[in-house]
Amino acid sequence: MKPIKFTHTTAQKIYDDYISRIKRVTAPLNKTDREEILMELNSHIYEGMIDKTGENEIENLVNLIEKLGAPEEILKPLVAQKKLEQATKTFNPTHIFKALLLNISNGVVYVFFALLYLTLFGFVFLIIEKIKNPDNVGLFFKNGHFHLLGTRKPDTLQVLGLTEVLGDWFIPVMLPSIIVLYILITLLLRLKRKSKKI
Amino acid sequence: MNIGFLHKWKSQVKKGTLAFIALNVLKDNEYYGYELIEQVKKHTKIEIAEGTLYPLLNRLKKENLVTSKWVEQESGIPRKYYTLTPTGEETLLQMRTFWFDLEKSIKKISK
Repeated sequence: MKPIKFTHTTAQKIYDDYISRIKRVTAPLNKTDREEILMELNSHIYEGMIDKTGENEIENLVNLIEKLGAPEEILKPLVAQKKLEQATKTFNPTHIFKALLLNISNGVVYVFFALLYLTLFGFVFLIIEKIKNPDNVGLFFKNGHFHLLGTRKPDTLQVLGLTEVLGDWFIPVMLPSIIVLYILITLLLRLKRKSKKI
Repeated sequence: MNIGFLHKWKSQVKKGTLAFIALNVLKDNEYYGYELIEQVKKHTKIEIAEGTLYPLLNRLKKENLVTSKWVEQESGIPRKYYTLTPTGEETLLQMRTFWFDLEKSIKKISK
């Protein structure tokens, strides 16, 4: 982006500040999207300044920027939407985390997705626990029915009537399940994004 | 009169029709963002937060209703021009039909 040169240093400062605010808000996006948004708003300011008839450069710029609105407000929906697009395309957990954070105020459904991912994260935690305390972690059944996926002290199992069913297969079963669930949830999130209304 | 309610209602209507307005302004025209906003202001006297038009244009582009291209300028600061796509044209015609029907109905019931 080619920066605009102002005559007054105050105007220059106001402009520089506005541009850096745009950069801050769009920071979660990829380089192409960031540059595109920046160039378009920069063009708006440039055309607006040429169009203004007033004598006072500072006043013109302040009016123009005020009408345009705060970058934090006008760009928030755009950034949230683009981030979600990127996250569901790349399957990158960091992107997904950031996208959900940006979209959490856009509907209960995103809270629901956050909970799904959190559950998955809990499964990862269980694998780590399984490695640390192999005897405590497992998939427990009671009278042939699912009872608990988690940790139980081995000496209480008999009292509670529980049996661990996976044994050494715990990690080999859990790991692929986590991966499959992760892909499924992310595909669902992509579907949700695409069905979003105008 | 309930001013609060009226305000909210007006802003909802504005928000809901902004896409329709932008598409109408772009029909048979090619505008860059600032110009498009000036046209909207000139023809409709609607006060809009100008910045919200850019995310809107982005959405219309994603829906394949408009396309855009950057055009270099002597100043070194290029303009991004928007036009309707054929899909945009067709969609706009359907939107107009809906709008005029709605207008007729409202006139009928608000006698």
